[in-house]
Amino acid sequence: MRRRNNARVLEALGVRVAKLRGVDLIRESWISIAGNPGRSLVTALGTVLGAAAFVSTLGLSSTLGRQVSAEFDVYRATEVVVRAEDAQVSREWQESEKLGVLRSLNGVQAAGARVSLFERRVQRTAALGGDTASARIVGADPEALKVIQPRLTTGRLPDQFHEETAAKVALLPKTIADKLGVQRTGVAVFVDDQAYSVIGIFDEVERSPEAMISLLVPFRVAEELSFGISADQVDREVLIETAPGAAQYIGRQAPLALHPQSPESLRAIAPPDPMTLRRSVEGNVTKLSLLLSIVALAIGTVSIGNAASASIAARTSEIGLRRAVGARPVHVFAQLLGETTVLGLAGGLAGAFLGATVTVGASLWNGWQPVIDLKQAVLATAVGAAAGLIAGLIPALKAMRIEPVAALQR
Amino acid sequence: MSATACLQLKDVERVYDDGHPIHALRPTDLDIFAGDYVTITGASGSGKSTLLNILGLLDRPTAGSYQFGGIDIAAAGEKVRGAVRGQKFGFVFQSYHLVLRRSALENVELGMLYGPHRARRRRDVAAEALERIGLSHRMHADPRQMSGGERQRIAIARAIATRPSVLFCDEPTGNLDSQNTANVLDVLQELHRDGLTVVVVTHDAHVASVGTRRLSVTDGRVREEQR
Repeated sequence: MRRRNNARVLEALGVRVAKLRGVDLIRESWISIAGNPGRSLVTALGTVLGAAAFVSTLGLSSTLGRQVSAEFDVYRATEVVVRAEDAQVSREWQESEKLGVLRSLNGVQAAGARVSLFERRVQRTAALGGDTASARIVGADPEALKVIQPRLTTGRLPDQFHEETAAKVALLPKTIADKLGVQRTGVAVFVDDQAYSVIGIFDEVERSPEAMISLLVPFRVAEELSFGISADQVDREVLIETAPGAAQYIGRQAPLALHPQSPESLRAIAPPDPMTLRRSVEGNVTKLSLLLSIVALAIGTVSIGNAASASIAARTSEIGLRRAVGARPVHVFAQLLGETTVLGLAGGLAGAFLGATVTVGASLWNGWQPVIDLKQAVLATAVGAAAGLIAGLIPALKAMRIEPVAALQR
Repeated sequence: MSATACLQLKDVERVYDDGHPIHALRPTDLDIFAGDYVTITGASGSGKSTLLNILGLLDRPTAGSYQFGGIDIAAAGEKVRGAVRGQKFGFVFQSYHLVLRRSALENVELGMLYGPHRARRRRDVAAEALERIGLSHRMHADPRQMSGGERQRIAIARAIATRPSVLFCDEPTGNLDSQNTANVLDVLQELHRDGLTVVVVTHDAHVASVGTRRLSVTDGRVREEQR
């Protein structure tokens, strides 16, 4: 009713309801912002910093996350160890036939059996006295040795022949060899009354660091020694080297291959997936940086709001004039909101660039490969615009209530 | 001259009431006809600006009726009043109210922003208005680099660009020296000669003497001075 009445009155007076076209609104906002760059810069500074913090912290955390996985131990990441859940499981699962099945799996580079026995005194001579050292007696077949990868300082690794003939040969870690005064191969060491011929000395292993305190003998030799011992004092394992990235998969398949009757009696220990690891590292950093960015953007919002509120006082006369030349309160509201939104958007965009620059700069400085997600930059810009929109609400509401009379008084 | 009034106040009253009422404008009857050049004088606080604000739809009377073009717009909605203000009235203020950091042309365009014209047309009309005022050569200048007289003439160009029926001027020469005052009065005179209805509030007797009708306001009471 009122509307129809209005239309009639407007027509009779020969006027049209004041309007502000979208294009004019954007243009006005832009002229206001660009016309006063100092004021605009101060107003948008908070959003610039907020968005920069957002993009750079997220960028740096992804860069660091990538770095973590790049430096992730590639040897450990390709090692799977299979153990029996309890000592009562029959030792059939370590037989070479089963190992053959396991080796035929795609992604298995090497797989061998290992049996670890008690710790024993190792002596240089069979007689009492002389140099002694304590070492665990560990039997490993050639394939298991491939997985362990001892680095020889002298001598050689036992081979298939030693394994099949159960030859009494041994590999010594350098620390134990030094203790016993063994400098070269060919000499014998004694465990109880049994002599073992030293065929190699190693100073490091790529996997299974516990080998560094062990006397390594062929699997079958240790197996024979184990017959007299209660099963729960013997650790039986199958060591597997996988192709990079296959560890998790092989970890799931190995118990099935080794013990098809009851795979659940075996337990495979695979390293954590590097992806999962990276995600968990990134997740922690991301939460922290998100929090920081939210704080920074909140400060940005408050700063836009503050600066816009402060500028209202200086623009009272302009707003009064706009009302005098026909602007409706909603037009004033829309323009001020438009200005803060554009400022927030521009601030967010500038901040995203700044943040990306910081990320790239820090990465170059440290020799990392920078990782910047475009989505984050877009998000930062959008959040900047939203911050501007929210920040503008209160000043815009204030401005639309300005009465032209009060504003135009000299 | 048309016998029907262009602006017609009947028993219009403006009372500011916060605690104890102040009668800024006591019940007033006033007819202003198309083509009038009305000057309003009075001491500070006499109510002359209140009268102008009510006539210019910048303020609402607390009682009475105000007819414009035969329609009572005293109680009309803000949409109607805003449209009339923007399209039928022009305003000139003592302190110019130009927007800084915008050229003369942009300031004149601003007067038409909320009207029916598109940007291109607004620019052409603004240029015409500046030409009419004789300031075409200052079109792209920043108001901060202008004299007070030039600024006020830019403001007049802004006010007349919409081709209003009535031009309201509140102390248009209050900030100007005699030379610039003379320039601005010349412009107003010329506009009046071209048929524009002009209402000027002033405390300068010389400015007041230019009008075809002179009103004086004392303590909210409006009196027409006979020549």
